[in-house]
Amino acid sequence: MRAATWTGVNEVSVETVPDPQILNDHDVILRVRRTTTCGSDLHLLGGYIPFMRAGDVLGHEFMGEVVEVGRGVRDRRVGERVVVNSFIACGNCWYCKQELYSLCDNGNPNPGITESLWGQSPGGCFGYSHAMGGWAGSHAEYVRVPYADVGAFVVPEGVSDERALFASDAVSTGWMGADLAGTKPGDVVAVWGAGGVGQMAARAAMLLGADRVYVIDRLPERLAQVREHVGAETIDYSRTDVLAELREVTGGRGPDVCIEAVGMEAHSSGIQGAYDQVKQQLRLQTDRPSAVREAILACRKGGSVFVLGVFALMVDKFPLGAMMNKGLTVRGAQVHGQRYMPRILEHMARGELTTEHLATHVLPLEEAPRGYQMFKDKTDGCVRAVFTP
Amino acid sequence: MAVPRLLDSLRGAATEAGGALLGRLQHVRLPGLGQSSVPEDPETAARRWRAVTVLCSPEQVGTGADLPAPLAALGDRVELRITPAPGDRGTELAARYRDRPSDDDLRALRAALRETKQLIEVGEVLRVDPAPHGVRKPTPQGAALEGATARAGGEGVL
Repeated sequence: MRAATWTGVNEVSVETVPDPQILNDHDVILRVRRTTTCGSDLHLLGGYIPFMRAGDVLGHEFMGEVVEVGRGVRDRRVGERVVVNSFIACGNCWYCKQELYSLCDNGNPNPGITESLWGQSPGGCFGYSHAMGGWAGSHAEYVRVPYADVGAFVVPEGVSDERALFASDAVSTGWMGADLAGTKPGDVVAVWGAGGVGQMAARAAMLLGADRVYVIDRLPERLAQVREHVGAETIDYSRTDVLAELREVTGGRGPDVCIEAVGMEAHSSGIQGAYDQVKQQLRLQTDRPSAVREAILACRKGGSVFVLGVFALMVDKFPLGAMMNKGLTVRGAQVHGQRYMPRILEHMARGELTTEHLATHVLPLEEAPRGYQMFKDKTDGCVRAVFTP
Repeated sequence: MAVPRLLDSLRGAATEAGGALLGRLQHVRLPGLGQSSVPEDPETAARRWRAVTVLCSPEQVGTGADLPAPLAALGDRVELRITPAPGDRGTELAARYRDRPSDDDLRALRAALRETKQLIEVGEVLRVDPAPHGVRKPTPQGAALEGATARAGGEGVL
C-alpha cells in the first residue's frame, strides 16, 4: 500500500509499504477514507520528539471503513464507516474504567521509554513515535486499529467524512479541555491557539454554556474562521496586549477558564520569543511554553488552566508563583477521546458542531509532502491538510 | 568489503548503546530528569519488589500452576506478593528474585509482570510488530532508537 512516512527532520515521503495485518484478536483493519495533519505532527516533523525512525508512517487523526475484523471483536462489523480516536486504549484497565483513556496501562508496548522520562507511561498513539508505542499511523491506504471495540465509533448517517474526521482528535481534544477545565454556564473562557483543537475547544466551551469565549492567535485566516464558524470572539496577539484586553473584557477579573491549545513550538513576540527560541535550540529547554505562561498570568484568581498542547519534557520560566498564589487549578492531558466521541458525533449529526471548514486543503495522499509543507509554513491559508488515500 | 563491515559494526554498536542508554536513563539525576532520588546500593536496588496493579480480584491472579504463563515461566526464581489494592484499584501484584538478578533477569521480570497484567485485563498481549513502515535509513540514530525500542518492554521504572 502507499503511505506517507517521516524520512528525516522536516522530510515527508510517500512510499510503498507492507499492508497492515491483524495481530491481536481485538484488531480491525480500516481502509482509510480521510486522514489529517495535526499541529502536534509538526513536533515530530521538526525533530523535537526524537523517537521517530526513518520510514515511520505518520498520522493519528482519521476515519474510514472497516474491511477486516479480528476474532475477538464484538461490536464492529465489516463495511461500517467509523471514526477512530487517536489514542489506543484497552477499555479494561483502571484508567480506562475512570474514562482516562489516554492513560491506558495496556496501549503502549514500549513503556520503558516514557516511564524513564516521565515516571509513568501513558497509552499509545497512532503514528506518534516509538515513545508512544511505535504504532503505524493513518496516512496510508490501510491502518490497523487495536482494541477496535473501544476506539472506533460508527459515524451517523448524514455526517460527512470531513466532519466526522475531526471527531478523532481535534474535537475530542478540544471538548476534553473545556470539560475537564470545569467550564460551566456563565464562565468566560479564553483559548490560546486558533488551529483545529483551539477552535473546537472554543466551540465546546460554548456548547457547555460559557457566556463568552475569546480565541487568541495571530493568523488572520484562522481568526476569521473562529468568528465565522465557531461564533467566538478573537484577539490578535500580534497587535493587541492580550492580558490587558482580557482584563478589560472581564471586568478586571480575568477569564474563569484558560485553555492552551498551542504546544511546545509556541510563537511569541519580543524578548520572550527570542529567549525561548535560543534556549530550545541550545537544548536548555525542550519546549517553548509562552502560551502556557500567558494563560497562567491571565487567569482569574481561583480559575482553571488546561494544557492541551503537546509538550515533551521541560520548560523554563514557568510562573509557579502566579499559579500558587492565585490558587489556580492547572491540568493537562492527551486526549481521552473515547469518553467524548459518542456525544460529539450526536452534536455533529444535529449540526451543532461543524468542522468541514478546517479542511482547507483536501489532497490525494501522494501530495502529503506538499500538504505538510503548507501546513507547517501556514501558507495559502492552510489550517489543516486532509489526505484521501 | 571492509567499509560495509565497519558500518555494520558501527550500527551494531549504536543499537547496543541505545538499549544501554534506555537502561540508564531512569537513574540519571538531573533537575527534571531521572526517576531516582538517591543512588541505592546495587543489592538493594536489584532486590526491590517490582509491582503492577491489576484491575481484578486477588484470586484472579492465580497461584502456582494457575499463574499466567509469563510469570509461571520464571518459576521458583521469583517470589510473589499478591495483595488487594486500596479503593477500587484491583490487586497489587509484586515480584522479586530470590537471588541477586542480572539486568537481563530484571528486564524479563518487568516484561512478565506487564504481560501478566495484560493477559488478565484484556486477555491477550498487545503486539505492535510487524508494523508497516517505509525504508529504514541505516543511520546511527535509527540504530540507537531500534536498540532502545527493542528493550522498552523490559525497561522503565517498574
